Amino acid sequence: MIETQTNTFCSCCYSKYTLDDIFCKNCGYPLQGTKHQQDSFISDRQIREIELEESNKKIKSATNSLYWIAGVLAFWGIIFFAMNQDSGNDGFVIFITNIILSISFLALGAWSKTKPAPALISGLSLFVIIQILNAVVSPISILSGIIFKVIIIGYLIKGIKGVLEADKLKKELNVD
Amino acid sequence: MEDTENLTKVCHNCQSEILTSNHYCNYCGQTQNAEEIETAGFKWSNLQQLALFFVVQVLLCITPAIIKENSIFFNLSLDVVMAITTLIFFGYSWAENKYLLKWPAFSLKKLLLFIVIASLASVIVQYLVTHLNLILWNKTQSYYDTFSGHPYGKYLMILSIAIFPALFEELAYRGYLMQKLINIFDEKQAIYISSFIFFIMHFSLISFFWLLPFAITLGFIRIREKTIWYGVIIHFIFNLTACLYELVDYDELQHLLNSLQ
Repeated sequence: MIETQTNTFCSCCYSKYTLDDIFCKNCGYPLQGTKHQQDSFISDRQIREIELEESNKKIKSATNSLYWIAGVLAFWGIIFFAMNQDSGNDGFVIFITNIILSISFLALGAWSKTKPAPALISGLSLFVIIQILNAVVSPISILSGIIFKVIIIGYLIKGIKGVLEADKLKKELNVD
Repeated sequence: MEDTENLTKVCHNCQSEILTSNHYCNYCGQTQNAEEIETAGFKWSNLQQLALFFVVQVLLCITPAIIKENSIFFNLSLDVVMAITTLIFFGYSWAENKYLLKWPAFSLKKLLLFIVIASLASVIVQYLVTHLNLILWNKTQSYYDTFSGHPYGKYLMILSIAIFPALFEELAYRGYLMQKLINIFDEKQAIYISSFIFFIMHFSLISFFWLLPFAITLGFIRIREKTIWYGVIIHFIFNLTACLYELVDYDELQHLLNSLQ
């Protein structure tokens, strides 16, 4: 029979515990452990919390890079349109394509606030496919803005990894 | 005092009786979600395998654009290569995928309903796409051009456009890809990601309005029915209708209708 009478609160997570509990049932804190055990438990948990914060930062940067892609696409669409106004239909087609893609990345950016994993994976796949298709049409295009492209892809991959890391850390901390 | 809300379970580590709501065992400190933590460790390497799948698919889909060849032989050999790669990926994760090949709750009524909806949707989409292509780019899109030179062109076209994609795209996207994603994220996110990748793999911005809903619908059906066969048949009927839409001779049809009256 489990004792329901509560006496005091856990000094780690402030949930109630009973006197015969050896460990906190909410956070695993060694309630009857030595001072050393309790300290190392707290510091271990703090390290995980810092790691979780870092993973969330990675996700945030990846989200921001979706907006950066949207901005750059819209910018080049407008520049291209302004420069090729007299060349007729082709300039317009590229302009419209860039605007549609830019809106797609804005939408993915907004979506990544609630569902980071599908939004970031979709964004990365779309970005990679755009680069490959451009390279098929004109192979030299892969070199233009190569640094920007590599940085963006790096941020997106780190963001996706961040989602998985945050997921694992939340389970280790046993929160949510 | 008896409290029915306080359900108990046994801690895996010390075998003492604890409440099911406990995050940790209050006697030995063992975390109660050890299995979830363990599976979380494999997720990144599973995602890397999916990245490989994605790259292979992109390379295969892009081959016609690089080689600029459009013969019947080339098209069919590409179909065969895609089929083999799909089978390799699907077979590599055979243990977790094999349940999809079963058809647990076969319902003829449901199947017929899906077939009717798929063919109707396909006619509407074909009509819209033909007109959109004319309005926007002033061009007509034809699948039959490639196959028209061959005596059995029509059958080869149906093989290459209706049968191969229906079977192997379903095995690849609703089968392998989706199953891996379910293990990494959850069912809803798996549907969204696999549908989006299915859509962009067609390299056609304009088909956004029907490819995404199409893929999401197939995804939901696959999750609900726990089989890929509804998807395979819907996909087959959808593509077959698209083929027939192009192949049917409208003058002859008109003639036939007139003679009936």
